[in-house]
Amino acid sequence: MIRTNRRTGLRLMALLAGTCALALTACSSSSSSSSGASSTPASSATAAAATASAASKVTLVVYSAQGYDSAMTKAFTAATGIPVKLDDNSTGPLLTQIEASKNNPNWGLLWVDGATAFAGLDTQGLLLKGFEPSVAWNSLGTQSVPSDKSYTPTGVTLMAALAYNKNKVKSPPTTWQQLLSAQWKGQVGMNDPSQSGPTFPFIAGMMNYLGGVGAGETYFTKLKANGLIIHPTNGPTLQALTSGQINLALVQSSAAIGAALGDKSIGISYLNPVTLLPSAIGIDAKAPAAEQAEAEKFIEFVLSAQGQKVMQSGDPTGDSLYYPVIQGVSPLAALPSLASATTQSINPYTWGPQEATINTWFDSNIVR
Amino acid sequence: MPLFWLLLACFILAPCACFLLLAVSPRLFGQGGQWFTLTYLHQALTGATAVAIVNSLWVSSAAAVMGVAIGFPIAWLVARTTLPGRRFLPGAMWLVLLLPSWLPALGWERIVQPDGVMYRLGLDWPWVTHAIMGPFGVVLLLGLRCVPFSYLAITAALAGLGQEFEDAARVHGASRVAALRLIIPILAPAIWSALAIGFAESISDFGVAATLAYNSNFSLATYQLYAAIGNFPPSFPLAAGMGWLLVAAVAIPLALQARALRGRSYAVLSGRTRLAVRRQLRGWSQAGATAGVGLFFVVALGVPGFGAVSASLLADYGGSFKLTLANYHALFAQTNLAAAAGGGLLSPIERSLGYGAVTATITVIGGFIAARMLARRRTRATGALDFLLLASVALPGVVFGAGYIFAYNLPIMSRLGINLYQTVTLLIIAYTAASLPTNARVLVGAVSQLQPSLKDAARAHGAGAVIAWARGVLPVVSRPIVMAWLFTFCGVFLELPLSQLLYAPGSPPTSIAIEDNLSNYHFGVGMAQAVLAVAICLTAVGVVLGGYRLLAPAGWRRIGSAIGGGRG
Repeated sequence: MIRTNRRTGLRLMALLAGTCALALTACSSSSSSSSGASSTPASSATAAAATASAASKVTLVVYSAQGYDSAMTKAFTAATGIPVKLDDNSTGPLLTQIEASKNNPNWGLLWVDGATAFAGLDTQGLLLKGFEPSVAWNSLGTQSVPSDKSYTPTGVTLMAALAYNKNKVKSPPTTWQQLLSAQWKGQVGMNDPSQSGPTFPFIAGMMNYLGGVGAGETYFTKLKANGLIIHPTNGPTLQALTSGQINLALVQSSAAIGAALGDKSIGISYLNPVTLLPSAIGIDAKAPAAEQAEAEKFIEFVLSAQGQKVMQSGDPTGDSLYYPVIQGVSPLAALPSLASATTQSINPYTWGPQEATINTWFDSNIVR
Repeated sequence: MPLFWLLLACFILAPCACFLLLAVSPRLFGQGGQWFTLTYLHQALTGATAVAIVNSLWVSSAAAVMGVAIGFPIAWLVARTTLPGRRFLPGAMWLVLLLPSWLPALGWERIVQPDGVMYRLGLDWPWVTHAIMGPFGVVLLLGLRCVPFSYLAITAALAGLGQEFEDAARVHGASRVAALRLIIPILAPAIWSALAIGFAESISDFGVAATLAYNSNFSLATYQLYAAIGNFPPSFPLAAGMGWLLVAAVAIPLALQARALRGRSYAVLSGRTRLAVRRQLRGWSQAGATAGVGLFFVVALGVPGFGAVSASLLADYGGSFKLTLANYHALFAQTNLAAAAGGGLLSPIERSLGYGAVTATITVIGGFIAARMLARRRTRATGALDFLLLASVALPGVVFGAGYIFAYNLPIMSRLGINLYQTVTLLIIAYTAASLPTNARVLVGAVSQLQPSLKDAARAHGAGAVIAWARGVLPVVSRPIVMAWLFTFCGVFLELPLSQLLYAPGSPPTSIAIEDNLSNYHFGVGMAQAVLAVAICLTAVGVVLGGYRLLAPAGWRRIGSAIGGGRG
């Protein structure tokens, strides 16, 4: 009897010990890796310097949806000693967090694609205005800097690039109007703006180019009548292209170029005008002054030669495929030249507030 | 007990209440100018949101009924017949339960979509695409998800139902069908419970709503709610208005359940309960039963598994349709790249294993206490607990997440020095709160069969309270507890909406890392990572079940298998 008791007790203890060990391992691994983002410098010498200086600095909280953000925050900490905590998420959840916590925000800077979200945050007074890093912008950069300096562009992608199947399409269309012709009936695909963030700037860009919301709606209605196929986001639209469901895909340039790197049958061209989609950083207006100063340093680091190298190597088949906004920095070799492309910027303060209405119209009339 | 109620109030009631309050008083949380308004509730009842709510109501009802219609026969076949391979079925049923709902949805989509695997294999069946990518497919997937809940509830009830009732009916000349008509009403509490949890789980499901349903242009309430939050700028008050409707919807099955069971006794377990005799299946009945059960598992596990694995084995977005390990190579290259920069993609997996283990341990303790309260005689307190738990099942994870931000990131909290938002502590609390209601429901079947005499007997023989519980009660419920632990563990391991809103910056869990790949155009790599994560999760399940088999005394396993389902 006593023996059975002891065995039962031992087994219970073994189970409990196992659970506790697992829990402790978990806690230790999570705490060690949670600091990993901020304390893994490139070399031991810089590590020592960074640790020493980090003690006197506040932690910079970075909200980012960029593919190279993890590499960037680590390089920044290694270079400056400023500890960083990275909230790496999709744009949607990041904006939800910012809006839900706006009474008591705890982010330092936000780094996502698309200027309309920044314009929306700026209109609510959530962004620090008036900061511009001391850099030499190229023409893409100059087009993307807002007048009140409430956010800073770090690169641009284009919306939308035309990706096509080179084996089937020997002479791709060269104007937006040609997409409405019988030649391309049932062969064009694009993304759904309510699921794909970069697609609203594309639709707004078309409306801007064609002369207004009404003209844009007419264009997309005709495109639908010509057999436009909608997939949720860049990935599935490109998948439809490679599988042969469609022959022309209107997707974000970085996604198209990334796909072309892996599939040599994909060709890329730009129809004029093509809309700029800036990646940008905004600083929290309510963050402590010390954190705001660190956020400004972060922006300067991102736009420095070292920072641009990290951006171009951090996500080589994804977000690294951007067009730089700084003079003297060349895009990666895989990016098509913009020499013959006409680019346009849309005013995010005009188009941003119309996003929900236009997306709802698109969903009701084009997607369904 | 007061402490338990306090914890429930702080961690389930408060975040839900804060979020729901937003619908009528947005200004309270800085989300608008009105202190009191009914505009958002009105908006939730009109236009596209009203259509989505109606869709959700009928789809969830159909899914819950389908869950019972499939779960009941399988439970009966496993408990009462000599069905071949029946000892593996409880484990397979747990596997269905453990998979996140988006995985089967993506797997099915991958196969039947216009350029999917089915067409590439030369099967030109547009009617299948039409059927799956529409309301039928949505009901099918949600219904399959309800089957394990029905199976567990009915298995537990069947275990306590002795042979004497069937014998009595047969002695009086009843046919097998007539005997079944006698048994079904006796099992009414389990069936109603299965319908209620199936309905609540389906109406709150986001995985199917955001994938198959959305891509089929069939809008469901949870997706509309998500869109209200996900659009920029988000409308939290409108989302809260829809939250009210979801909570109200849960009251429907609960009210029906209460009405159906009122004033009746279903106590069937006694000292004279006779062991049920297994019916020999032969010939056509055996073939038919085996084929039916086999078909269920092919549809529930085989097809989505094939879809997900094949997606991870096709490079270049599936263009060439050649199987390759390129995505897995890319995943490890990505891991090496991240490791070189000082982190690693394996660390999110390690982290999620830890989060899952800690959360599951806390949840099972809380779930057991809640299940005991629910299993007792119905009072106002247990009625309120039942509604609170089921209502919180009906609220999608994104509501919980936003509710936690509103409740625990108020400026006053910071002034009091309580800074819980975006800490691992709050994330684990939120995981626990979101898992507890379903966990309690899974355990209630087993716990309701416990007689106080089990513990009393041990106490009478001189054992202390803890030893009496460990020796009298634990052996009977050890297997259900292990299974409930695994259920929570797997749920947390791949949980997405709460993680997105609440994870501690710098410490991304697995689901965030997968989502990061899927949303950054690395679709194949993301699927490879998802397959790898599910494989790791299932390995952990295997390790725990193996450990239970090795460490638990044979008696525990024998007693527990009657009510817990699942054989390692």
